Amino acid sequence: MVNKLKVAIYWAGGCGGCDIALVEMGPHLLELDAAADIVLWPAAMDGKYQDVEALPDGAIDLCLFNGSVRTSEQEHLARLLRRKSKVLVALGSCAHEGCIPGLANQMSAEEIMRRVYLEVPSMDNAAGTMPQTVTRVPEGEVTLPVFYDYVNTLAQTVPVDYTIPGCPPSAHQIWRALELALAGQLPELGSTVGVYAKTVCDQCPRVRQGTKVKAFHRPHEIEMDPQRCFLEQGVICAGPATRAGCNQLGKPPLCISAAMPCRGCYGAPEGVEDQGAKLAAAVASMVDSIDEAEIAKIVGGIADPVGTFYRFSLSSSMLRQAMAEERKR
Amino acid sequence: MLDLRRADPSFTDEVLSEPGGENLLKCYACGTCMSTCLVKRYNPEFNPRRLIRRAALGLREQALADPTYWLCSACDACYARCPQSIHISDVMRAIRNVAMRGGAESPLAAAQVDTDRCSGCATCARACPYDAITMVAKEENGLLHQVSYVNPSLCLACGVCTATCPSLAITLEGYSQEQMLAQLGAGGWLEASYDAPKIAAFVCNWCLRAEEDLAALDRLPPNVRVVRVPCSGRVDPLFVLHALREPVGGVLVAGCTPGECHYKEGNSIEQSRLLLLQMMMGHLGMDARRVRFARFGAADRGQFERTLAEMMGELAAVAPEGWSTW
Repeated sequence: MVNKLKVAIYWAGGCGGCDIALVEMGPHLLELDAAADIVLWPAAMDGKYQDVEALPDGAIDLCLFNGSVRTSEQEHLARLLRRKSKVLVALGSCAHEGCIPGLANQMSAEEIMRRVYLEVPSMDNAAGTMPQTVTRVPEGEVTLPVFYDYVNTLAQTVPVDYTIPGCPPSAHQIWRALELALAGQLPELGSTVGVYAKTVCDQCPRVRQGTKVKAFHRPHEIEMDPQRCFLEQGVICAGPATRAGCNQLGKPPLCISAAMPCRGCYGAPEGVEDQGAKLAAAVASMVDSIDEAEIAKIVGGIADPVGTFYRFSLSSSMLRQAMAEERKR
Repeated sequence: MLDLRRADPSFTDEVLSEPGGENLLKCYACGTCMSTCLVKRYNPEFNPRRLIRRAALGLREQALADPTYWLCSACDACYARCPQSIHISDVMRAIRNVAMRGGAESPLAAAQVDTDRCSGCATCARACPYDAITMVAKEENGLLHQVSYVNPSLCLACGVCTATCPSLAITLEGYSQEQMLAQLGAGGWLEASYDAPKIAAFVCNWCLRAEEDLAALDRLPPNVRVVRVPCSGRVDPLFVLHALREPVGGVLVAGCTPGECHYKEGNSIEQSRLLLLQMMMGHLGMDARRVRFARFGAADRGQFERTLAEMMGELAAVAPEGWSTW
């Protein structure tokens, strides 16, 4: 019998959407099963960390790691799977750039704990009980992973060989990457796989006229023209600063085809280090005014700028690095 | 010396019949425009008074060989001062139109679009103060894609599109992304420590009008790094973040006062960009005073150095402990 490839799939700090995307490959899962042994996939099958620990280093041929790294357990698995895997792939926006969990980097771990366990209106915690990493019970000690100060990406934790972006990555792109891996045809180390060369605007069928706006709106606040560029209607769309790849080549990007602006989950264009800064630069040039006070009013009307421009990429951003440096001081 | 035997009155008529050229003959050559305009600082050949005179006299060849009409950025500082109320930039445009019909080319190095990277988002077309950018179709692998095209006759090389392009697909000679970052970090400045907070100052080529203020840039202390830009609108937020994460204590962007931008609206676009960045810094609990957009007007003298001193004082307040390592 031919030796099958050993594949591991792990879910760290994320919503589980990446696992759903894997399942969405449908019949290709059977092809994957035919070509590979799945040694770990907590979302789909039984498997113990000890089994992975027992494997020799480098025994796993390919590991798809989804989710960000916020806890000691996630870090342990990231390091363990790095050691055990020949090829480690950051699958999905969380592992790639922090994604929505990365927005928690706006607050400290302590602020988050206080809010979640003491302050939220639905919380009934008169005794002020807080989660502990070690709790003694009559039967012995029970432990919880340590909740770190910040959300990190996989590449900020261990060296990563390939990245498949997206929240979640499109099933056809994951399968395409798996096909390459199974055929031993993965591109140069460090590559981003499952994307197109250009940005979302290249795939977008909406009409752009080069016009500017006097106000920005959230999608629910106005009635949008289904043919025109979102940005030119004052609705912030991350398309200009987002890598294309979420739909089949030649088809409109997924959010656009659902009549919603691109949210930016495929990350920055190639060679661009900070998606949010470039999206902000693009949106800033939409402002139709040269009057200082009016500009301040229009720009000030943009709700939740960090969550809008860095919705997916705050963890890996230069802005976060700047913030971390400032907090050190 | 002017040789009027070579005059061609039809040239004067051509300029007069262009929209905006009709005021050509109102000029009595007082030279106020010439003393107002800063372009001559960077190009001694620039001389609107002489050009208008030559055009009025019908000296076609001499007028068309003059680079002035290509270099006028239509900031209209001279318009406000012209005693004859001649909209001089319109006259320049009229002459440029005549020149373009004759196949003449601008001496300026226009912004260059890498169409393999360009995704046709039209962000640059919106940002361009001169409407020099249009979207054109390009065939790639049998499919038509939209990409940007910069009309080299209309581009004034301000760099606003370069800073705006989300794909970093547009470059500007002398002010490319790599060149700007290389200047910022030259000599290991980003990593170096000084006994005062570090400030990266991106200074527009036009906002410091007095020669004395310009000369002051050369005698600043080593904790201040000056990077010259064609327009404050060339300052990509990426440059600011590049400095802040090092960390550099503060980033000062110096541009023209509202209404006085040499490139019409580059400073307004930069205002929007930096405002957004400051809003986000605030949301992250950072001190937004670390980024400052200072604007200087035609009448300001010595203001740049005062702004710098003020900013250093403020930075000391931002981080009272350990600020000297910034």
